[in-house]
Amino acid sequence: MALLVHALEQGFLYGLMALGVYISFRVLRFPDLSVDGTFPLGASLAASLIVSGWSPFAASIAAAGAGAVACAFTGTLSSRFRVQGLLAGVLTMIMLYSLNLRIMGRPNLPLLGRPSAVSATANWLPIPSGWAVLAAAGLAAVAAKLLLDLFFRTELGLTLRAAGGNPRLVQAYGADPKNMVVLGLAVSNGLVALSGALVAQYSGFADVNMGVGTIVAGLAAVIVGEMILRPRSVAWATGAALLGSCLYRGAILVALRYGGALGFTPSDLKLLTALVVLAALVAPVVRGKLKREEA
Amino acid sequence: MSLKLEGICKSFSLPGQRVHALSNVSLSADPEEFITVIGSNGAGKSTLLDIVAGVRHPDKGRVQIAGRDVTSRPAHRRARWVGRVFQDPLQGTVPDLTVEENLALACKKGRRGLRFALGRRRRHLWADALSRLDMSLERRAQELSGHLSGGERQALTVLMATMARPEILLLDEHTAALDPANADRVLRITQDLVGEGGMTTLMVTHRMDQALCLGSRLIMLHAGEILLEVAGEAKSSLQVTDLVRLFHRRGVSDDALLLEATEKTRG
Ligand SMILES: Nc1ncnc2c1ncn2[C@@H]1O[C@H](COP(=O)(O)OP(=O)(O)OP(=O)(O)O)[C@@H](O)[C@H]1O
Ligand SMILES: [Mg+2]
Repeated sequence: MALLVHALEQGFLYGLMALGVYISFRVLRFPDLSVDGTFPLGASLAASLIVSGWSPFAASIAAAGAGAVACAFTGTLSSRFRVQGLLAGVLTMIMLYSLNLRIMGRPNLPLLGRPSAVSATANWLPIPSGWAVLAAAGLAAVAAKLLLDLFFRTELGLTLRAAGGNPRLVQAYGADPKNMVVLGLAVSNGLVALSGALVAQYSGFADVNMGVGTIVAGLAAVIVGEMILRPRSVAWATGAALLGSCLYRGAILVALRYGGALGFTPSDLKLLTALVVLAALVAPVVRGKLKREEA
Repeated sequence: MSLKLEGICKSFSLPGQRVHALSNVSLSADPEEFITVIGSNGAGKSTLLDIVAGVRHPDKGRVQIAGRDVTSRPAHRRARWVGRVFQDPLQGTVPDLTVEENLALACKKGRRGLRFALGRRRRHLWADALSRLDMSLERRAQELSGHLSGGERQALTVLMATMARPEILLLDEHTAALDPANADRVLRITQDLVGEGGMTTLMVTHRMDQALCLGSRLIMLHAGEILLEVAGEAKSSLQVTDLVRLFHRRGVSDDALLLEATEKTRG
């Protein structure tokens, strides 16, 4: 039971990151690797601000803002200066690594005993204590999902979705697809950094290395969610990303708890995650090939 | 004057050579004029439309739309005056948006805000517009446009391109990818919508019969130059055979075009 609750808590907090990855990879079709840098950016900025006495809520919002700005940089690099998308993301990610060290002044910043936006919300909610953190995390994730769904139904949001599918058309109808890429990446990485900020508060520390593999974990969540829900609208797709995130975190907790018996160590997790993503990417191709051979 | 091109030159550099896609092309069109454009592959027709739309910018020359000099404006900043339909049905719609979401995208041509794109009033208007295409698309407004057939998609694209009543409509072989029945249908829809909207239209086509029977003026491009221009009386009395003879006299040895024309006259 406790395992399930923890999986859901983490699933929702990391789910914000999965929503961000959904926006860049699925909506914009932009392979944005900078999330590996913006996730710890959110964590380290929020942690430093909280340590220096900021309210955890203000610190989390500032972290989201910083993520948005950082990745407007990736977007500008790629759309205005024609740096390849992958490379632009990697450059931002590397720059953020150094920047995150500067922000914290050291590689790891503990937050034990400091105020946290997650636990503050949990205490405020009229819910028994065993479930309160889960409720707070769920509240954040579902609120973000609903806001996103609404945004994607506005004129601007619709144009952003169109820019991913057919940028020439967007231009023909009077919007600059480059601005749409920048805007989309800003929203995406704002969410990723917010996720980093909340995860740091939830787990009680920020670490420069906590971002390694974020993109793969996010993709795994998005893909797993899609495989289960097969979403046909944006609202279902964002829901699928959250569902995928919860399942993914659950799988990780199970692997950590019981994997030892099978000879796994926590350091094997990244390999396993990558294999899951790989399997999901390869499966449709293999299935297509098999079908063609049958026919 | 709703469109005015003055001395447009455009060349592309390829390894080892320069291709002059347009050399010193001038053209002006009155409001509501319907111009058909023919020419062999590589004659520069699409490049001409690209330059009007602002997707490409001329090396030399000026572009005026509705009396404004728009030469240096990028495509999205002249979209308000220009509607366009491409040859490839995939290009004119966003496949993972629904039919009505595509229409929502097309009905606004300026800055986008945070208003909801799909309102009840708009949906009503669109259902009307869709039902007039006579393809039962009004019943599929909530379906992804990627699920439509090529003909349906192209009809939707024509509707989208004309919906905001642009000054100029650019059609680039927009029925070429369709079977004859669908091509005729989309062409009829185009004529209806152009007639209502009163747009200046440039229509590129490879079908000489179409070029002759539609519109009030015919332009023939060859190797980046306007080789022939006929309008009014002269155009309406022109036959496909006359066109072929004219080409010969001007020394055009464009086999594809001539072959096509000769086949048409025989058939
Ligand atoms: N991006 C480009 N780079 C290099 N050359 C180009 C480019 N675009 C067009 N050209 C060249 O410019 C010339 C005119 O091309 P354009 O596409 O305008 O021809 P077209 O009349 O539309 O032909 P088609 O009937 O095949 O569509 C061609 O020789 C083409 O090879
Ligand atoms: Mg062409």
